[in-house]
Amino acid sequence: MSKYIVLFFCLFALSCANESDPEADKANFVRIYDSDRYNTSFNPIDMQQTPDGGYLFLGSRRLEESNFSGAYLMKVDEFGAFVSEQLVDEEYLNPVGDLLFLNNKYYFFCMAVVSFQTQLVEVDTDGAIVEVYNVGGSYPTAAALDGSNFILLGYDNGSKESVVSIVNETGNVLQATGYSVGAGDAVEEPIINHFLRTGRQFPFQVGKTSGGQYFYNGFYNYTFSLVFTDLGGGGLGVVQGQQDDGGISRVIQLNGNTYATARFNFGDNYFLPNASLSTSGISSSTDLGGFSLPELVPNAPVKILVSNINEKDVIIYASNTKSGQIGIYVYEQSTGEFLGSKYLGFSNPFEVNSIINTADEGIAIGATTHVTGRFPRITLFKLSSEELSAIF
Amino acid sequence: MRRLLLLTAFIIICSTVYAQSQRKPPAGFKKKAKQQQNSFLDKQWWIGLKVGPNLTKATPETRYSVLTPTNYALPLTDKQYDGFKKLGSQATLEITFNYKGIGFSFQPTYRLSRFSYTNEFMWDNPENAAELLELKYDHELKVDYADLPFIVKYDITGNTLRPYIQGGVFYSLLVNANKTVEISGTDFASGGTNELSSEPVIVGAKDLFHKSYWGIMAGAGLHYNLGNVRLVFDASYRIGMSNVTDTKNRFSNDRLSGIGDALDDMKTDNIVLSIGCLFPMRFLSTSFKSIDR
Repeated sequence: MSKYIVLFFCLFALSCANESDPEADKANFVRIYDSDRYNTSFNPIDMQQTPDGGYLFLGSRRLEESNFSGAYLMKVDEFGAFVSEQLVDEEYLNPVGDLLFLNNKYYFFCMAVVSFQTQLVEVDTDGAIVEVYNVGGSYPTAAALDGSNFILLGYDNGSKESVVSIVNETGNVLQATGYSVGAGDAVEEPIINHFLRTGRQFPFQVGKTSGGQYFYNGFYNYTFSLVFTDLGGGGLGVVQGQQDDGGISRVIQLNGNTYATARFNFGDNYFLPNASLSTSGISSSTDLGGFSLPELVPNAPVKILVSNINEKDVIIYASNTKSGQIGIYVYEQSTGEFLGSKYLGFSNPFEVNSIINTADEGIAIGATTHVTGRFPRITLFKLSSEELSAIF
Repeated sequence: MRRLLLLTAFIIICSTVYAQSQRKPPAGFKKKAKQQQNSFLDKQWWIGLKVGPNLTKATPETRYSVLTPTNYALPLTDKQYDGFKKLGSQATLEITFNYKGIGFSFQPTYRLSRFSYTNEFMWDNPENAAELLELKYDHELKVDYADLPFIVKYDITGNTLRPYIQGGVFYSLLVNANKTVEISGTDFASGGTNELSSEPVIVGAKDLFHKSYWGIMAGAGLHYNLGNVRLVFDASYRIGMSNVTDTKNRFSNDRLSGIGDALDDMKTDNIVLSIGCLFPMRFLSTSFKSIDR
């Protein structure tokens, strides 16, 4: 009889056992990384999950003595707890993403304070700077990985060209091709305003397709365009925008000529989770159509992630809503069918900066929030696959 | 509305007590009843209602915060809990079987618990004293539970006024939870001393709490036999033995995460006071007399 009583009490206690759960703490959390300095501001640019399960942020910070933003690195652990930060020397300005992982090191591009020449910064997995390499060229805007090299998109204000370069891990330029943005100061003005953060922030992007073609999303021939190129004498494929009022917000290749993309046009935003893009000849982004998203801020920044949630291949879009939240929109990869949405943040405004898949099959979103409505701070949303699968 | 219901229940109980005490038994059964009384009164079932206030103290086990400092000490984000400050209330249906002064009691209870904590934050600029913002976040939690306690009572003496001690275990099921956040502070950076205050943010917080928890309890009380019924005053201390926070949903509320709040893992203790009235379920005679030797 007594053993049944013991068994009953054990079952009773177990039925409401709810002790600390480290796995749950890693899978789902929200962290806002706060400095108590009134006059500081931090914005994430990109992040990567490090081999130890933590996260490494590349961010920008406000500098008192410069019109450009400074570089900032922050390491947090797998629970999102703060580990370390690097206020990168003010000699290095205008950091750009992606934060690139190559041979157990992280790399990002920025530019030198006086010469404005592009620099390649090597960082270890703890977020400490190992080496800085002078790359040359100027005004870096975007970067991506290309095998064991990097693809860099920059702007040459001397020749007024968008320049796509292949750079190795020690900063040597292996190949570089320039594409004219057009003659005259008018076309350059929005580009410079982008760097000074006094104007619209353009969704510059660079990459390489599975077919070996390079592409960049930037200025070409007076227009913000998605340009496909072999970096040689071959013809270009140009998906034109509307001067600086329209174009592609983000593009990810799914297969062949099928892309998950988003576009903006005079403030409106459209998602195209299953679009066929012409990678040769000239076409117009306005002809692509797409799902209209009136809840998004005008010309919204868009991040796209190909992911697998609960054994379903999906495309996740993240963008900024007019209500100050981050909207997450999930589409089926094979059909482009809308599956569901989720909104992150409330009270204080939140803006998305990066989105990545995590080792536990969840996702992490790097964002900016304004603590108490006034202090820009880096935010990390970690969502488990369980929470994501609840969307659809 | 809840207070009105409790008041109505109390009036009904008092009326019943008064009516029972005024009723006079017919004389014909007195002798027989007297003979059976001693053995009969060894066993009795009681049923009744109790109501009263309670106080709650939350004790954090593991601390959590959305706001994560990068250049100041993490403990500065710790919540400051107010222990036993906020008055809650409960209503209990008591079913007790008494055998020779020992009672075995099941007391399902609907309980509203309230507790609160505060966070304080400051942003300043050492190079410019005017750039200073101080904010205080006052959080109040109201949590409704259906308690299922099993209690053993022991009557210390057997007179009309019967003090007793009690102890037992309880299992609490979450019914509902709400949270109110008020933000106040002082902004010195807007050109003067600007006292800030905001309208309370009230959010449903049921998802933040685990669906159940359990605990142990001990206490004491008084029975007062009035006529044919028993009035009861009861005080107990309840010690929560398991975490009341839902560890999986800690960050699920966007409104609270947005203002930097996440619940700690915590256990809750309660001081529970009740008064009520118990009715016998076994009677000595058609006069319904059951107690008072």
